[in-house]
Amino acid sequence: MTRPLIEARDISKRFGALQALADVDLDIREGEVLALVGDNGAGKSTLVKILSGAHAPSGGDLVMDGKPVEFASPQDSAAAGIATIFQELALSENLSIAENVFLGRELTQRVLGIPFLRHKAMKRRVGELLKELDAHISDPEVPVGSLSGGQRQAVAISRALNLNARLVIMDEPTAALAVAETRKVLQLIRNLADSGRAVILVSHNMHDVFEVGDRIAVFRRGRKIADKMRTETTPEEIVSFITGAHPDVRALEMQS
Amino acid sequence: MTELKSYTLAILASLWVVVVAGLAILQPSALDVSTVTTILQFSTILGLVSLGQGVVILCGGAGIDLSVGGIASLTSVVAMQAAEAGMPLPLLPVICIVVGAGLGTFNGLLVTRLGLLPLIATLGTFYVYSGAAVATTGGAVLSGVPSYFIVWGRGVVSGLPLPFLTLTLPLFLLTAILLRFTAWGRWIYALGFNERSARLVGIPVDRVRLIAYGASGAFAGSAALVGLAWLGSARPNIGQNLELTSLTAALLGGIGIMGGRGGVIGILAAVLLLVTLQTGLLQLNVNSIWQVGIIGALLIIVLLADNLRFIRRST
Ligand SMILES: Nc1ncnc2c1ncn2[C@@H]1O[C@H](COP(=O)(O)OP(=O)(O)OP(=O)(O)O)[C@@H](O)[C@H]1O
Ligand SMILES: [Mg+2]
Repeated sequence: MTRPLIEARDISKRFGALQALADVDLDIREGEVLALVGDNGAGKSTLVKILSGAHAPSGGDLVMDGKPVEFASPQDSAAAGIATIFQELALSENLSIAENVFLGRELTQRVLGIPFLRHKAMKRRVGELLKELDAHISDPEVPVGSLSGGQRQAVAISRALNLNARLVIMDEPTAALAVAETRKVLQLIRNLADSGRAVILVSHNMHDVFEVGDRIAVFRRGRKIADKMRTETTPEEIVSFITGAHPDVRALEMQS
Repeated sequence: MTELKSYTLAILASLWVVVVAGLAILQPSALDVSTVTTILQFSTILGLVSLGQGVVILCGGAGIDLSVGGIASLTSVVAMQAAEAGMPLPLLPVICIVVGAGLGTFNGLLVTRLGLLPLIATLGTFYVYSGAAVATTGGAVLSGVPSYFIVWGRGVVSGLPLPFLTLTLPLFLLTAILLRFTAWGRWIYALGFNERSARLVGIPVDRVRLIAYGASGAFAGSAALVGLAWLGSARPNIGQNLELTSLTAALLGGIGIMGGRGGVIGILAAVLLLVTLQTGLLQLNVNSIWQVGIIGALLIIVLLADNLRFIRRST
């Protein structure tokens, strides 16, 4: 097998007395959709935030392309080619779609050192991205505050696509979506992986996970307790891992 | 946002017409070019300070600068004391802006580094700055502003005061352009409205806020310069009441108190309205206590109108 794009080794994260993640090892591969599942509070979003530079790990290492990396900020992570769509979406509702897609990385032209916006170029690019997503949004100038949940998701995904990322992370992207919009997002996830990108999908929906995931990692109380290829497992088995009913989990939790 | 601004501007403009019409009926003699000049002269200082106030509020995080008047007072005193101590007089503009920016940056550090609530931090520095201005002078006026500055400070070109034309108006236009057409402007609107998401996309939130407080101080320092050049002397109470009047102007001008909403041209319109109203009430010999009350009522009415619009739109 080829070398993983990113290896997380022994990652832990504490929030005060709370151990949100404990000794997590995880390989993230290009061309693969990795689904992260687990109960509420299992630590999925925390791992996502460590990969995206929003949190620093309390322990452990991240290795990218075989070299250790440290992400001190979301910008570091983005610069390394990781685009994250956070559970909270991180959009500014008072700004337009185009402004959100480019926020923090605007196309500018410097005049006397002042970064003037290249409005038309950004608008054009966002128009292309939205079309590619088949998002049914005609005007990139509309404020994000007036969009529906699915449309906001499309804006957040456009943001990630625009980074031309090697790893795209989506934290519960379909949680707020109707059936048709969910289908579209799943198709998009598949396309991203097929184009050679690594994709992490966090989801509570077993149907989505089994439809689009190539590999499934299960989290429970901050630990990774299973990591299986989709072809080698079933939804029933994954659910039993999540709830703790699986014999392996019982054995593990008896020890500690 | 543009929609909001045009709405605010329309309200302010119609209120202004009402005020002027009222004045025309009650005191026709007041409608005169000299009244326009007087209004713009008083708008010059208030405008500069309100601009800074508005930018600080726009940056969110419960941002507010109650020390603007204190900065204006202390800056003008420090500048004249430096001149007395031998600083070359042509450097007065430089020292005003540097001292103002320094005092404002101190506010910014209290807020961004020490995490103090802006209301409390700038209330504290308001007392420190305005107290220091009175203490170091014993309340006395410091004279000695060179005549070439006074020529500028009192100069009028076709009815328009020079400081308004050469300082206040250009700074408003410049700020409006920076907010509207640059990446920095987009960052300010983003972080003012939703700090968390701004941090997630990598906007340097604390640095932008620090600069906003520094800029507010620099604007207050330039207001001190206008005061020096206009009055010909440094008065330790030049900034009195500016904190609340500038806050009123910013809110009246459509800046959302929660940040990330509004534009600075609205602030300029609000300053002109406020000063016109004050001047008109003065001409009509209305008791100054009533003047304050009327301005307060105006603020509440405009904010109510703004709220109603939101309620209507969201239902
Ligand atoms: N910033 C924080 N400060 C303190 N505790 C936190 C913070 N972020 C997360 N936690 C805690 O860490 C644990 C793991 O949270 P996390 O958000 O990673 O869960 P999750 O698996 O994403 O859950 P969900 O499915 O509900 O999104 C939870 O107990 C949560 O309360
Ligand atoms: Mg989560």
